[in-house]
Amino acid sequence: MKRNQILTILSIILLFLFLWYANNNLSAYYIRILNNTAIFLMLAASYNLINGVTGQFSLEPNGFTAIGAYTAAILTLTPAQKEAMFIISPMVPWLQNLHMSFFPALIVAGIVTAIVGFLLGFPVFRVRGDYLAIVTLGFGLTIRVVSNNTISITNGPLGLKGIENYTNLWWTWGFAVVTLIIIMRLINSEFGRAMKAVRDDEDAAIAMGINTFKIKMIAFVTSAFFEGVAGGLLAHLITTISPTLFTFFLTFNLLIIIVIGGLGSMTGTAIATILVVWGSEILRFVEQPMHIFNFTIPGIPGMRMVIFSILLIVIMIFAREGIMGQKEFSWDSLFKLFKTKKVANK
Amino acid sequence: MNTTLILQQLFNGLALGSLYGLIAIGYTMVYGVIRLINFAHGDVMMVGTYIAILAVSVLLLPWWAAFLLTIFATAFVGVVIDKIAYKPLRNASRISSLITAIGVSFFLENLFLVIFGGVPKSFPIPALFSGTLHIKGVILPVISIIVPIVALAFLAILMYILHNTKYGIAMRALSLDMDTTRLMGANVDAIISFVFAIGSSLAAAGGIFWALKYPSINPLMGIMPGLKAFAAAVLGGIGSVPGAAIGGFIIGIVEILAVALFPPLAGYKDAFAFLLLIFVLLFKPTGIMGEDLERGRF
Amino acid sequence: MNTVLKCNKMTMKFGGLTAVNEFSVEIPEKEIFGLIGPNGAGKTTVFNMITGNLQPTSGMIYFYDKPIVGLKPYQVVSLGMARTFQNIRLFTNLSVLENVLTGFHHKLKYNLLDTILRLPRFSKNEKIMTEMAMDLLESVNLQDKANHKASELPYGDRRKVEIARALATGPKMLLLDEPAAGMNPQETMSLMYFIEEIRDKFDLTILLIEHDMKFVMSLCKTIAVLDHGVKIAEGKPEEVQKNPDVIRAYLGDINA
Repeated sequence: MKRNQILTILSIILLFLFLWYANNNLSAYYIRILNNTAIFLMLAASYNLINGVTGQFSLEPNGFTAIGAYTAAILTLTPAQKEAMFIISPMVPWLQNLHMSFFPALIVAGIVTAIVGFLLGFPVFRVRGDYLAIVTLGFGLTIRVVSNNTISITNGPLGLKGIENYTNLWWTWGFAVVTLIIIMRLINSEFGRAMKAVRDDEDAAIAMGINTFKIKMIAFVTSAFFEGVAGGLLAHLITTISPTLFTFFLTFNLLIIIVIGGLGSMTGTAIATILVVWGSEILRFVEQPMHIFNFTIPGIPGMRMVIFSILLIVIMIFAREGIMGQKEFSWDSLFKLFKTKKVANK
Repeated sequence: MNTTLILQQLFNGLALGSLYGLIAIGYTMVYGVIRLINFAHGDVMMVGTYIAILAVSVLLLPWWAAFLLTIFATAFVGVVIDKIAYKPLRNASRISSLITAIGVSFFLENLFLVIFGGVPKSFPIPALFSGTLHIKGVILPVISIIVPIVALAFLAILMYILHNTKYGIAMRALSLDMDTTRLMGANVDAIISFVFAIGSSLAAAGGIFWALKYPSINPLMGIMPGLKAFAAAVLGGIGSVPGAAIGGFIIGIVEILAVALFPPLAGYKDAFAFLLLIFVLLFKPTGIMGEDLERGRF
Repeated sequence: MNTVLKCNKMTMKFGGLTAVNEFSVEIPEKEIFGLIGPNGAGKTTVFNMITGNLQPTSGMIYFYDKPIVGLKPYQVVSLGMARTFQNIRLFTNLSVLENVLTGFHHKLKYNLLDTILRLPRFSKNEKIMTEMAMDLLESVNLQDKANHKASELPYGDRRKVEIARALATGPKMLLLDEPAAGMNPQETMSLMYFIEEIRDKFDLTILLIEHDMKFVMSLCKTIAVLDHGVKIAEGKPEEVQKNPDVIRAYLGDINA
């Protein structure tokens, strides 16, 4: 027990040493990708909590991320900035003058998103199964429609510009690590067992005295909170947000991550986040013009998504478990692995 | 607002509703037999309109031949999608096939983006469908009258097939109990293919009329109608074919009338279907005509 | 003797179909009560109404004199009623130990904050729950398989885990839906002793559905017979066996 804790703390220190190195030595491009990796890790881990661990297949992360991004951005923009930006219609006064620093704004973003998640959970968890997917998909779309139309709150299609670039490696990875720790602690508790019980057999879970509505709600609201915070981090990383940023495309990327990693495994999610975020950077070349000898092949926008969607279908048909299945990394299993190897060597 | 205008909008709502209804039938039938929300169904409709455009402008077929070809070709596309992507997952968890369906949906959208680009193409409208009619001061596009009539005709044919032919009866049996139907000697795979064929051909018909009504088509055009049609299927009671048609009419009319009566709501019109869906789930989760498909669980 | 469960004219209609019609029964404390009947007689429907999975169309159910119609299944569990399923339904991706631990869920003594901050209350109660679960596994002789995945166990063991999991909820009454289904004669025999043993050890009242006549006749003190949703007989096993209505119901079943 003690040993494992020390090892975990050591690896977190190692991670931050690496980030310190990266921050000082790597180019802005790589730092941007590292930031993206952390934000996607937060999003995907939260998404996997409701989809993989609790087995409630839903499609709302783009909606939750949008709520978090807008909330945090509105809170950190100064009243003067807002007045200058809202040219179609002035901002509602109580929001116009609301101003906060970065950290409380992120927490408020998380809380607001969690509240929306709670309200959304009521209709959708009343029914079982597939409706959840379609209602949450519709929810994401509705959020986009609303953010396009509530011009005196969101500035409509013009979006919000000049958001302070507060997000850096320390914030993104700090939050990502905290998110993972909290989600892992939740999973390794009676609450997590109940979530998995709901996933494996909801009727049997009810027969065990589990209030399945409450358990689904805990998973959903937790997931909403962290997706909201991640949205806030994202807004302060890219500094300009508009409704078109939060389409189903974002959710689709997260879905690919949790499917590749294994529905229900946070270890798998972490591995797959790195693979997908970096993989899609590497795959950028397929969308750019290519020069082979004297020929120029024009870039084909959308090709990456064709590749990713084929990948998703192929994984579902041939390798449904993904990389990790539902297994998690643990120090004990690592040591066991080494021991058996040693024995085998002898 | 005067009665004439309301009447006019009611007809427009009816026309839009029939389109949702045509697409919704595909959702409801597929869900009925294999309990899968076919996320790609809206995109199948999109594929249909592109086939129609190619048939008219590349193959230079007369419109009626192009439309017939489209319906058969799209039915084939639907069956192929099922065979390749869904059939291997028949015994896997429902989440697995749902994820695959999302993958297929994204694949079709992006494949067509790659092939045809994102710039909307205009759909050639045959003269027959382009006029307007003036009846006692009510101005109606011809298409708004043709669409509901054709949709009801398709519905009547489908109901006849479901209740009077061997395949139709087998389909209904399948939606009640797959294992028993299999035991009774029915060719379950053939029936499922037939369901995909019917659903996809109706989606193609819906797509053609959609393009005639809104003649600018692009690879992402299937998403919105697809989602709303799904909401219509749930509203009508998933698994019920007449329910899907009724749900489609309701959503179409609500959408058009709400905007006509409260113009400031125009920007929100795409959200109506989902608010309606959420209300249905809150108060009558089985929809208008639906039975609880989950009942025999224990 | 105290009445544990009392059903009064319990009726369940599905659309036009009456699955159970005015079913009444009283089960006294510590009794092993059998509910038998041909296939489709409505036995499982009776179970589902008692456990709150189905709400009866009419009629009353009392558990220790408290009316329980209208309660949610998890509320019924917390009153002290647990069940098993006809086709064993374990949480297949959880370990045997975790399966049993879920039974303690409704008495959970730590909250989300304790969980996230790993406060002493969390570790203390996790430890207590694990010990209790191991005790239960020991009483079904499966302590060695605590860390196996539930899906890896042989059939007979799975049934035992399911019962241990039900016992973890701390029931006063246990409902067993065809516990001997799929077992060979030896397994059935040992299950019989096992049921009597846990009845005595945990002071349980047991209601069970079973097809295996020998099993029911030798285990149960009282038997009720259900046919087409109607109770046609109730009494001691030897009385029920001779009842002409019962014989007809079963022979009719065989002929059909």
